Amino acid sequence: MPDNIYLPELARIAHIKEEISGERAIKTYRVEPVNGGGFEHNCGQCAMLSIFGRGEMMISIASSPLITEYKQFSVMRVGRVSAAFHELDVGDVIGIRGPYGNSFPVDDWRGKNLVFIGGGVGLAPIWPVITTAVAQRADFKNISVFYGARSPRDLMYKAELERLRGDADIQLSVDKAEEGWKEFCGFVPANVLDKKPSPNNTIAITCGPPIMIKFVIQNLQQLGFADEQIYTTIENKMKCGLGKCGRCNVGKDYVCTKGPVYSWAQLKQLPEEY
Amino acid sequence: MEKILGKTKIDDWVAALSDHPQEVGRGCKAAEAATTTHWQVSAPVLEDGIWSYQSGSGSVQLEHSNTTQPPKGFSFPQREVFFSFEQIKGEPPKLTQKLPQATRHAVFGVRPCDGCGAVRMDKVFSDHVADTYYTARRSNVAYVGLACNQPQGINCFCLSVGGSPVSSDGMDVLMTDLGDRYFVAAVTDTGKALMAAGNSVFSEPTAADRKQLQQTHAEAIAQPQRAINNLDAAPAKLKASFDSPLWEELARACIGCGVCTFLCPTCHCFDINDENTSATPIKGNRVRTWDNCQFPDFTMHTSGHNPRESLGSRLRQRVSHKFQYFHENFGMPQCTGCGRCITECSVGIDIVNVVNKVAEHAG
Ligand SMILES: Cc1cc2nc3c(=O)[nH]c(=O)nc-3n(C[C@H](O)[C@H](O)[C@H](O)COP(=O)(O)OP(=O)(O)OC[C@H]3O[C@@H](n4cnc5c(N)ncnc54)[C@H](O)[C@@H]3O)c2cc1C
Ligand code: SF4
Ligand code: SF4
Ligand code: FES
Repeated sequence: MPDNIYLPELARIAHIKEEISGERAIKTYRVEPVNGGGFEHNCGQCAMLSIFGRGEMMISIASSPLITEYKQFSVMRVGRVSAAFHELDVGDVIGIRGPYGNSFPVDDWRGKNLVFIGGGVGLAPIWPVITTAVAQRADFKNISVFYGARSPRDLMYKAELERLRGDADIQLSVDKAEEGWKEFCGFVPANVLDKKPSPNNTIAITCGPPIMIKFVIQNLQQLGFADEQIYTTIENKMKCGLGKCGRCNVGKDYVCTKGPVYSWAQLKQLPEEY
Repeated sequence: MEKILGKTKIDDWVAALSDHPQEVGRGCKAAEAATTTHWQVSAPVLEDGIWSYQSGSGSVQLEHSNTTQPPKGFSFPQREVFFSFEQIKGEPPKLTQKLPQATRHAVFGVRPCDGCGAVRMDKVFSDHVADTYYTARRSNVAYVGLACNQPQGINCFCLSVGGSPVSSDGMDVLMTDLGDRYFVAAVTDTGKALMAAGNSVFSEPTAADRKQLQQTHAEAIAQPQRAINNLDAAPAKLKASFDSPLWEELARACIGCGVCTFLCPTCHCFDINDENTSATPIKGNRVRTWDNCQFPDFTMHTSGHNPRESLGSRLRQRVSHKFQYFHENFGMPQCTGCGRCITECSVGIDIVNVVNKVAEHAG
């Protein structure tokens, strides 16, 4: 930890990609440390990004820990800080502090099948696990990725997902049918039920809107997944990331330090306050 | 170190502290110590109808009931600047840290419930990772406490939450009123240093003084107070009552003003925001301010989704944090029984009643 836990390091925007435009726009940023700083992270951890004069926001680190030159973040434009983010240009300097939170126990999953289930911007928090597993392909058995959004235009990381085909079984879906859409049409949980991934020696990792997660878990249970085989993340509102500001708790846990990653077996012990 | 201080001599002690070059301070770095020669003494002052701890002119008066505002602000001020920033677009910003000045505060007249409050705050701000700003301030704050010979108000309940009206927890010095004089006992090394600075204002306690001290403490503990009925059972009862309809019923009158937590000696929630003074170049301060779990937007996501949407869910959070979650994390309740949240709530929401009622209904 740095001397001053609230003082961000500086990072430069090295690359910006517009994933989705419109009302719920998403842009993906690669940021590089200024002055050779930076930090290492694990899959599932987050960072507090600052725009000076606007404030801070907690964003999942969307790049694999295997990539050390930059960190990737995908930001949905929703409010004060995220809107300011969408105005940034390559070369602009932001603040960053972290990494915060626990991580996915990826090492425990070697030798297993992995089923990823993401919705909307919820692909970002699980993306480091997906890309790490694919980079270390021989360590894992089948890898499948279920990912869906409202419409084809709302799917993020489209080109990257296409590149994973071959290493992973990619199952895309959209909520509403559209001309030319050849893959599944319907909600993400329904696609999972349709394709019936086997729970045998499998870990399921899901992230997305709370309502999607709820039905994904129900459907996974229906397919025979045990609570210990299901992992998800919680995104309660956060300010400090350090277990001090008192905002992100679910029961006794400050999600910023004890989460955001939970197995369903752990999460169901906590009150439903997320 | 135990001494006797005549009540008329308290200002002499304060004067000695204010003049005394103080070399050692808890956690105070040598460089800071060299620039700090005084203790700034604060004591309860009535201003605009509110008792709070303030430094300044006038003689120190301790003959009053507990302050409206707890002394937590010495270590955790209502507003503090973390750093200032100045940035031209496309260039790295200039960040200037605003670490707290090494002013040493000796706070006189702190009551035992508020000493216990500091113990709770210390836990939060040192757990997981030490809070830079809190730690820097706290290491320069000393509490010169005053035992409560009588409960300070009708809503005191320290005895039922593991405290006591004569507790020295969180104190550096504990004074006890013996009529025309105080019995003054050092609790920490900082307390010893404070007393050593007073030197000749003190006299040695006699056997009779010690006997009177014991008797005074015994009587203080025997005074009737309000009570949480069964503190040890509270965590489990609250856990079992998470979905109880009682929460909404008990919270119905709440107007969400947040007084209950702002005035609580253990409430530590805060917000972090940028306050700007110029748009081009971008100039401003990153600021921490107290925040409040009784406000609806405390937990509301930008999407509008709110894990604690209703009044009942927010009352449940305040009460469960104090009597369940904190206990689960630190093995003690986060409430010290000061009674402020009861006395100052304009609609009569009463944490003692709430805990007792919820526990009773949990069976
Ligand atoms: C662990 C975690 C991981 C996240 N990962 C991502 C991600 O990868 N991509 C992404 O687009 N979003 C992510 N979010 C949500 C993101 O933090 C919020 O959308 C963002 O803080 C909104 O800030 P704003 O200033 O634009 O909105 P405003 O509503 O203007 O925000 C005001 C303040 O409220 C806080 N806030 C509001 N909503 C949320 C929320 N849902 N979660 C946390 N803080 C909130 C912010 O700290 C902000 O300072 C994540 C949240 C958490 C907790
Ligand atoms: S002081 Fe009373 S009215 Fe105000 S937020 Fe607290 S419980 Fe509600
Ligand atoms: S919860 Fe109420 S009674 Fe307990 S310490 Fe806080 S203000 Fe005092
Ligand atoms: S974000 Fe402050 S306690 Fe978790």
